[in-house]
Amino acid sequence: MKLTETTADTQGRIVKVDGDDHFMNRITSIGMTEGTAFQTVRNDKHMPVLVYLRETLISLNRADADRIEVEV
Amino acid sequence: MNSIALLGQPNSGKSTIYNNLTGSRQHVGNWAGKTVEKNEGSYTYQGTAYTVTDLPGSYGLSGNSDEEIITTDFIRSGQSDLTVVLVDASQLERSMFMLAEFARLEKPAILVLNMMDVAKGLGKSVNADALEKKLGIPVLPFNATDTKDYDKLKKRIAAALQSPQTLSVTPPAAQSDVQADSQAKFDWVSELLSGVTEKNDKVFKMSKFDRLMTKPLLGKLICIGVVLLAFLVAMIIMIPFMSIGSIIPELLHDPVDSLLTGWNVHPWIVSIFSTMLPNVLYFTISMASFVFGVNIVFGFLEEIGFLARAAYQFDGLLSKLGLQGKAICPMLMGFGCTIGGACGTRVMDNWGQRMLAMSIVWAIPCASIWSIIPVISGMFFSWWQTMLVCVGILLYVVITMVVVSKVFSRKLAPKESRSGMIMELPPYHKAHWKHIIKEAFFKAWDIFRRALGTVTLVSILFYIFSFSKDGNVDNSLLYRVGTFIEPVTRFFGMGWQTFMAFVSGAFAKEAVLGTLNAVFMGNNSLLDATFYAKTAPTDAAMLGTAMTQAISPAEALAFMFATTFNIPCLMALSTTYKESHSLKWTVKVAAFYICNALVLSCIVYHIAALFM
Repeated sequence: MKLTETTADTQGRIVKVDGDDHFMNRITSIGMTEGTAFQTVRNDKHMPVLVYLRETLISLNRADADRIEVEV
Repeated sequence: MNSIALLGQPNSGKSTIYNNLTGSRQHVGNWAGKTVEKNEGSYTYQGTAYTVTDLPGSYGLSGNSDEEIITTDFIRSGQSDLTVVLVDASQLERSMFMLAEFARLEKPAILVLNMMDVAKGLGKSVNADALEKKLGIPVLPFNATDTKDYDKLKKRIAAALQSPQTLSVTPPAAQSDVQADSQAKFDWVSELLSGVTEKNDKVFKMSKFDRLMTKPLLGKLICIGVVLLAFLVAMIIMIPFMSIGSIIPELLHDPVDSLLTGWNVHPWIVSIFSTMLPNVLYFTISMASFVFGVNIVFGFLEEIGFLARAAYQFDGLLSKLGLQGKAICPMLMGFGCTIGGACGTRVMDNWGQRMLAMSIVWAIPCASIWSIIPVISGMFFSWWQTMLVCVGILLYVVITMVVVSKVFSRKLAPKESRSGMIMELPPYHKAHWKHIIKEAFFKAWDIFRRALGTVTLVSILFYIFSFSKDGNVDNSLLYRVGTFIEPVTRFFGMGWQTFMAFVSGAFAKEAVLGTLNAVFMGNNSLLDATFYAKTAPTDAAMLGTAMTQAISPAEALAFMFATTFNIPCLMALSTTYKESHSLKWTVKVAAFYICNALVLSCIVYHIAALFM
């Protein structure tokens, strides 16, 4: 499933991150790589997704969050 | 000379360390050919001088942003003898990514484990000695907020410069694909950290305040409230400086006037020195003091972590305009003052989006506009019609924003290069006031120094145009040009009088009433009207009578819209130029606004004329 489909407090793992090099550099350097354990903190309509991973709270805009596949 | 560079991710405490190391010995410039700020400073330790370069903050070094290229090139070039790599001990696994990037450059370094106190508070222990053995470079546990730690840091730096050490551990192997490459770096970090710190698998719980702040509606309301409050505080900070500035024109006018007249200087020249220049000084002081206030409140909100929350709240809405959530604070600030809005965009990291944000902020009517529109509207319309005018203006603000975004985003923030918001919401921090005030002062001084020239130049041009031998408006070049092109301006809905007020509004919105007074009542020179706008009160009732006799309500309506949506004042223009470092784009956006105002005026006039 997509990261945008998870609900608050779900825990899981990132399965796939996809995009061009520019995006991949940005997203992986903040810690979102395949296999990373995460916890969805908030996921409200029309709002960025709040995820907690690698001991950091990260706000990710919806369009980018849509490109992240996760398993819970 | 011993030269060191500071390298670290955003929120790693880099600027705190830079400020504490260098104190007041700092220099702000730009990296050659780039719009990225370059911070250099120096300090002396035990009789030896050291220079410090604060490298721009980024999460990694492999991307192709200006910041990353500058940093990589700088370290590679060997311009500094030692790189001090900063990581956040409370988020070690993630922030060590920067060290993994740095490892590939194979240059001498020391590693500073910042925020050891925060890590301790979270119940995490970090074995610095074990890490030092694995890395082969000095590792120093540190608290950037603890002034006692700096002596240790300086000592370590001095020792490391004596016998520079490069990482003894093999850097992560390069991979062709970005995902695999980053994965390799994180694996490298995990390997290093095993036995150094324990993994934390605790479930994350938001603080009570953050739970309120992240609620969709309530959070937005809190943000708007806080920014309005911040604007008020910025105004309060500005008041003492501005009051001193406001004395200048009155204080200087008479002595300069009598002195120069005594020397038989021609009265035309005298008025430049006695009226114009003191007022230019006053305008610029007001502007710089407001920039000072805005930078203090914004610096504070940024440092405690509030701006990150506001950006989270408004990201969805602003992405429709091609902007990031971070643009929300400058935009709200724009309702107070466009200058504040323009310099508030410094929180945005991408130049194109920053320039776009500034051009959108221009569409927001500032407090001065909100103070003149009701006065003019009240001369022609009843109270409920005035309300309608204000609502109409607000509606058109939204339209302008959308149009500006449509016109300029293709060049400034093309869809494919548009970076959506990916940001950390750092834990709330305490603010370091000394640092905030110092930085705000630097910014304000910089703006003051540079704007003084621009404003003086444009003022002199305006002086030449509005100049008349006997002080009567009818003899000025502006009048001649104004009446000459009146057939054209008439098409846009404005006669020469309102058009002149429209032009002076591009100077300072406060000047509009004074100019109207000068052209309709004929009892004041245009120059005095523009430059004395803040000191000489206008009798609105008398002016109203004169205006309603001279122009139609349709023209008044067209004029109000034209003035509101014209370019903001000269100070805001000059701030935009200084902040964007791009004359080309400032001029482009200004040209757009002037056309927009004229077309709007034309439409409003011709439609209103059908009904009024």
